[in-house]
Amino acid sequence: MSRDGDDRVPVWRRYLRFWRGDATGDVNDELSFHLESTIEELVAAGMTRDDAREAARRKFGDVAGIQRTLYTLSRQRERDMARTEWLDALTQDLVFGLRQLRKSPAFTTVAVLTLALGIGANSAIFSVVHSVLLRPLPYAHAERILTLSERNGQGSMCCLPFGNFYKWQQGARGFEALGATWGTRPWTMTGQGDPTPIATVLATAGYWKAMFIPPVLGRYYSDAEDREGATPVAVISYALWQTRFNADSNVIGKVIVLEGRPTTIIGVAPSAYILAPPAERIWAPLAPPAWRFNDFGDHELSVYGLLEPNAAPRTAVRQLEQIEMPLAREHPNMGYDGGVIATPLVDSVVGDQRTRLYLLLGAVSLVLLIACVNIANLLLARAAARRGEVAIRGALGATRGRLVVQMLVESLLLGVAGAVVGLGVAFIGVRFLVTAPAQIPRLQDTSLDGTVIGFTLLLALVCAVVFGLVPAIRAARLDLQQTLRDGGRESRGVARERLRQGLVIGELCVAQMLLIGAGLLIRSSIALEAVPIGFDTHNLLAVPVSLPQSRYKDPARAENTFQQMEAAIAAIPGVASVGRTQAAPIYSGGWDWTALREGSNGHDDGSTDSDMRFVNPSYFSTLGLRLLRGRAFTVADGPDALKVAIVSKGLALRLYGTADAVGRRISNSGAEHPQWMEIVGVVDDMRANGQKHEAPRELYMPTTQRLNGGYTFLVRGKVPVASLTPAIRRAVASVDPLVAPAGVSTMDEALDRTLAMDRFTKWLLTLLGGTGLLLAVIGVYGVIAYFVTQRTHELGVRLALGASGRSLQWLVVRQGFVLGVVGVAIGGFLSFAAARLLKTLVFGITPHDPVTFAAVCGILTAVAAAASWVPARRATRIDPLEALRSS
Amino acid sequence: MARSPIDLLQGTLDLIVLKTLSWGPMHGFGVARWIQLTTRDALQVEEGSLYPALYRMENRGWIKAQWALTENGRRAKYYRLTSAGRRQLTAETEAWNELTSAIGRIMTARRQPG
Repeated sequence: MSRDGDDRVPVWRRYLRFWRGDATGDVNDELSFHLESTIEELVAAGMTRDDAREAARRKFGDVAGIQRTLYTLSRQRERDMARTEWLDALTQDLVFGLRQLRKSPAFTTVAVLTLALGIGANSAIFSVVHSVLLRPLPYAHAERILTLSERNGQGSMCCLPFGNFYKWQQGARGFEALGATWGTRPWTMTGQGDPTPIATVLATAGYWKAMFIPPVLGRYYSDAEDREGATPVAVISYALWQTRFNADSNVIGKVIVLEGRPTTIIGVAPSAYILAPPAERIWAPLAPPAWRFNDFGDHELSVYGLLEPNAAPRTAVRQLEQIEMPLAREHPNMGYDGGVIATPLVDSVVGDQRTRLYLLLGAVSLVLLIACVNIANLLLARAAARRGEVAIRGALGATRGRLVVQMLVESLLLGVAGAVVGLGVAFIGVRFLVTAPAQIPRLQDTSLDGTVIGFTLLLALVCAVVFGLVPAIRAARLDLQQTLRDGGRESRGVARERLRQGLVIGELCVAQMLLIGAGLLIRSSIALEAVPIGFDTHNLLAVPVSLPQSRYKDPARAENTFQQMEAAIAAIPGVASVGRTQAAPIYSGGWDWTALREGSNGHDDGSTDSDMRFVNPSYFSTLGLRLLRGRAFTVADGPDALKVAIVSKGLALRLYGTADAVGRRISNSGAEHPQWMEIVGVVDDMRANGQKHEAPRELYMPTTQRLNGGYTFLVRGKVPVASLTPAIRRAVASVDPLVAPAGVSTMDEALDRTLAMDRFTKWLLTLLGGTGLLLAVIGVYGVIAYFVTQRTHELGVRLALGASGRSLQWLVVRQGFVLGVVGVAIGGFLSFAAARLLKTLVFGITPHDPVTFAAVCGILTAVAAAASWVPARRATRIDPLEALRSS
Repeated sequence: MARSPIDLLQGTLDLIVLKTLSWGPMHGFGVARWIQLTTRDALQVEEGSLYPALYRMENRGWIKAQWALTENGRRAKYYRLTSAGRRQLTAETEAWNELTSAIGRIMTARRQPG
């Protein structure tokens, strides 16, 4: 076999190595040839054979050493060649695969687009899950941070009273630091541009120790600065520093006026502290007034604890309970029962978004599953058409392994193309998802980072194997002779058809589950939005205003200012009436208030939790809340007049049953010296915390009998109320030019926000269900159309024998119908089992809502039948002569 | 002569082998004989050291080996130059010429350094 010139190794040469001698044998042969030739030469020159052998060795040098070197060199060569061969084979498969895909652009386009949609949607949702759930929290010791709350019967209470917190802080063991924050309030910042309300968090010095991230500039405040009477200091957020202070590095030591008090900026906190908007924030020391240390009833503080490095959470919590138990005994009826509940920080940050996000991730992976099944089906149909090609390749000596690898390489190419286009889809998807109207912590940081791209590629790989393996193995199991004899036509179609039908049934099952999920959420949201809220939310504007404490120390002066503002707003043309409360419904819960019936000792049914709101006389009429008994507040209910209260229907029922509540006296069971108030009226219930929550028991008191604090004006318009905002701002400024309302919005907007996350989930799931349905329909259509093509001959015979077009049509549609029924039956069963995952997300219906199940089953069966109707019509148009002749 | 020819010829051996093979395919023994004849025994190459050079050049793709029969019917491994080997030969010949002429100029210099 002499060949010359060309350096390119032809394919068949790869198999040379199977009859090429082993490397060591070659070396030995070559060396002995050399030595023997030398010996013969020397013998011919007259030497004896023994002398010649000796001389030849001497001439050659170190035979054994050179032999070893040559072994090494030739083994190295073998390895290089094996690698080259492998690369060659792969390159070949790739080139061949690309050529195959280019040869059928329609198939390739459909497959890549289907895959891109499926993969892209998955990557988008995954990137949200990654950002919100999986990414570690930014704090230095995030894994050791616990959120701590008091137990209330079974559940946990929102917040800790100041007294309890400081007792904990004094006595706690096992914690490196305990920190607390006291809500967020819009404090007016002056001295830096226009007076602007900035979301201000009051936090203890311990907060910074527990939730430590190094500051961008300056430092955080110490315990000494977190005391009543200390010089006011503040930490500003990175975003605030950037926007309001132009990222000035000399900001440390600058004095601003915050809520009327000159305050020194001592630090800039990194943006990682902001888990949800707004990003412009200020943190100020809590510095509680002395009396707060003895407050064991007012639930105000969110508490965080940083465990010591090796402390067990259970033990640390036990030790807190040692402090909490006696407090619960000394102060009964404050709600807490002496237990302490600790939650890992990440759980409390993410909250109930976890279920929702995993639900979406599950749904989106089901869509991808359907997409994969569709592509597997396409590949099976293609494999049928390529039987001839595969048989020839097999006959030419390609092993089954090589054939399977070749097919898988084609699938991988599809997968990679799908992933690349899918990343584009994901990019768009993420941009859409981060604008979700709901407040999901850390959502704003979502991006297509390395992890997400890695996930996408991995997904593509898995998909390629999932949809490619079965068709590849089936193709490689061809009976070569039979296929070649048949001229590449299908001869064992039944098994193949079974498989494809099975795949389509699987697809229908999955689509069924998706649609039932979407259906349940749609039904639930219809039920939710139909719940009457109890007051008229339309054309109502919420205007929060707070007065700087430093200038309004006197409660009477503050109340007077609020009344002037109220009057100024009411005087604006277009304003119908103005209500005022410290905690606007929907926006905020009322204050915790343990209502005590006169004559009760606090341990019987005469005390109950309630939500307390201070309201002005026109509050009820402005909201449109019905007065059921007695009267509303009037201007006569002043600070020095008889203390009065109004209760909601629910609270009256709870305390007095069917008896009349008006004229009874009521107090706060938590107070050291009960202040009795006379009930002057009963108003209707309202769902003040949104439609999802039952109407709370409400207790109302007149604003004039309150100590101090900010208010929200609720402005009812005669004209579209949002248009009145500038006039309202002017009216507020006309009373105190240094005060500005923060975050004006309409009640309908606020109500929308409470429903936003549910709506968002619903639409996303509906979108996914729709996509799943569409893909399943395509799958059904494909299988039935293939059925018709394969049976053209048989159908022709039937027509020739006198079958009517209608009966043939029914024959075909029946195929689709049966697929539909089987798919729906199995899918219905699976959905029924899976539906309880939705338990926490549905409202007003059970997760096994019969209406949804029936509707989805009906729709899917009908759609499957309809999808087979198009190929069925083609069956009736078969020309019997043509069909018989073509075979 | 006590000097070690291999040390001296390490780089040059490749050049010699390539040049030898440029006449046509040849087995290792033939290469050794041809060098011996052409240089009239001036270069005392230890014949064994040819083989690692041949193998290395084969691994680099400069030459290709193939088993074939000799005139008197024995199996021998023939080496031939590939096109990469031919290019290498050209490049090394140029480098060699430059080196020898440079050294030549030094050896025939008439001026004292400095």
